Amino acid sequence: MKGWRTLFPNAWYVAVREYRSRARSRSFVLGTALLAVIAFAATQLPVLVDFAAGSSQTRLEVVVRASGLPSDSLSVLDQVLNSPASSDPNAHKAFVLTWLPGADVTQARLEALTAGKFDALLVIDRDPSTQDLTFLLRTDLTRDGPVVKAISSALTNLEIEDRLVRAGTSTGAILAPYALEVVPADSTASATNSVGHEVSTDLLSTGLIVLVFMAIITYGMWVAISVAEEKGSRVMELMLNATTPLQMLAGKVIGNGAAGLTQYGIVLAAVVGGLLAQVPIHKAVVGSNAGTQFGGLAPNVLAAFVVLFVLGFLLYSLLYAALGSLVSRQEDVQSATSPLMVLIMAGYFMSVFGLQSIDETWVKIASYVPFFSPYLMLARVSAGHVEPWEFGLSVLLLGMSIVVALFLAARIYSAGVLLYGQRLSLREVLKAARVSR
Amino acid sequence: MSLLIDSVSKRFGEVQALQDVSLDIKPGEVFGFLGANGAGKTTAMRVVLDIIRPDSGTVTWNGKLNTELPRETWGYLPEERGLYAKMNVLEQLVFFAKLHGVRGKAAERETRDWLERFRIPEYADRRAEQLSKGNQQKIQFIAAILHDPQVLLMDEPFTGLDPVNVALLKEAFLEMKDRGKTLVFSTHQMETVEELCESIAILDRGIVVVAGSVRDVRRSTGRQMVRLAVEGDLELTWLATLDGVRITRHGQDYTEAEVAPGHDPGSVLRSALSRGCKIRHFEMADPSLEQIFIEHVGQIDTTERTLAPKAAQA
Repeated sequence: MKGWRTLFPNAWYVAVREYRSRARSRSFVLGTALLAVIAFAATQLPVLVDFAAGSSQTRLEVVVRASGLPSDSLSVLDQVLNSPASSDPNAHKAFVLTWLPGADVTQARLEALTAGKFDALLVIDRDPSTQDLTFLLRTDLTRDGPVVKAISSALTNLEIEDRLVRAGTSTGAILAPYALEVVPADSTASATNSVGHEVSTDLLSTGLIVLVFMAIITYGMWVAISVAEEKGSRVMELMLNATTPLQMLAGKVIGNGAAGLTQYGIVLAAVVGGLLAQVPIHKAVVGSNAGTQFGGLAPNVLAAFVVLFVLGFLLYSLLYAALGSLVSRQEDVQSATSPLMVLIMAGYFMSVFGLQSIDETWVKIASYVPFFSPYLMLARVSAGHVEPWEFGLSVLLLGMSIVVALFLAARIYSAGVLLYGQRLSLREVLKAARVSR
Repeated sequence: MSLLIDSVSKRFGEVQALQDVSLDIKPGEVFGFLGANGAGKTTAMRVVLDIIRPDSGTVTWNGKLNTELPRETWGYLPEERGLYAKMNVLEQLVFFAKLHGVRGKAAERETRDWLERFRIPEYADRRAEQLSKGNQQKIQFIAAILHDPQVLLMDEPFTGLDPVNVALLKEAFLEMKDRGKTLVFSTHQMETVEELCESIAILDRGIVVVAGSVRDVRRSTGRQMVRLAVEGDLELTWLATLDGVRITRHGQDYTEAEVAPGHDPGSVLRSALSRGCKIRHFEMADPSLEQIFIEHVGQIDTTERTLAPKAAQA
């Protein structure tokens, strides 16, 4: 094929044109803006949650008439009521406790309660016979509401603590620190992953796989639509003499891929910006600092993601281009590309299930199969169970399949774009492709 | 040294699109492809452009195979017209020029130059979809010639244009010819062919039925036409009684008759004189291309003719 020698600069011109026309289209601008806004808003969810909680702060006065309470009673109550505990003393609290040891339920205090100066009055007594603590809660809050339930469960803790102290021990002594160590079955090395780390990695790799999945479906479809549009508007006829099928294919895939990356970049910027803005916004809205936790992303996982993302997109978008050339109306693109959709969905679901059983043989085998490796190898890498040669082999096979796809797509494409009318079957096109250049 | 199409055959499934087509198109010549719809004109052009590979046969330009020639050699105006609807005119013309190897500033200068020549410089910044069909067609013509190709292949370039734009396009044609370009175009419009072409080929179902200079083709049947008008007799029915003469058309100005090969057209004049007719008009001519075409191919399919005036009989 003579196209190889002269792939550039024409492929580059086609790519630039594709990129511009895509990036200037209304659907791209509006879609990107919408996604960015959604992404930004999503990063502000913790602020919203805290803000909603802040409006329902409960002021609780505790009259302690019982004697001999454990010395850390106040902090036990405070910790349970305001869990999760924040190291930041300014952090928002669901409950504000006023601890009144040795006080009594005076008329003035009851009037203050009815007047709404505070929300609930808790009286702690000790039963003279059993020596157990007794509690009385005066409040207008709903009897079975979440606030009362929270107070009730906190008091359970206090009761337990009190009984333990009377028995001569404490929760601190009973719940002495211990560590759960997890080691791979085939390894003698000590654990590097705690259980908690595994859980967050699962979430993270699912997220990365979804990113690959979305990109291939959305931006691959762009390529198919772009081909069908050119064929439909007959501008293809002019392009046929100006370029070779290989130049067209390469240009379209690069141009649309770059437009897709631009959209990803903008949305990602919105996410990062949102996370950075989270602290000041939180301060302004809620009046205290937020405790945001960033998930750590290992550099090797990120590198694998980039490689598999790009190669996966290349493989699929070439096939999208080939299938797009079979139809000349935009409405037909969806049905023409449905076989690819099945393949993509299959890979996606395999990887989602594969994450649960990452060391199964079928997952390992599938992570070398070009159509599935962008997902499954990514899943395996992020689970951390991959040897370098395994990754290399998978990428090599994927790269080889791209070369095959390029020639196959160029063949189908150069035959497909010349055949108008009814939607063509792949067989008809392959027959035509055999005799075209 | 010419555009040589050498025994090219091409079959699409059951359809023999081209069968052993051989043509010799001289450099600097204006060459017309005539044929009914489906005769193989578009396929022939696509084979020349190396968009379609023939089953057998070769195409050479100045001794070089078309598969070896750079794409810039050719300028192509496809029959199926289309532009990038959302792209502005200047941008897409520069894009096409660049694809053909015209670099940077030169591409834009050439584009503006041609828009000026077609009297549409104000369209440079409009989107293609905002232009009328005729103007879009002019833009496409510009796209085909921007890179100064050696050979121009145009599929039905005049279809759908109003007379003013047809004249503009003809002007551009002649300019390209003056620059030494070789022009090949297909058309249904016989009077355009007679006006512009030096050589033609008539295709019918993939076969070249006749080819050569316009003059030779018109003489290819050996028939001659006579046009006669006499005072006081519009019918001239006696013409039909002459040996080898057949009346083809009655008219106000003259009556036209066809003289079969081997008969002397002068006999018509002699017989008119011998009848004592007062002759107002006598003319001998070769048959029109339309008559030749009909004789070879049958009735012309006029479905794609639009605004252009009908050939000859207006």
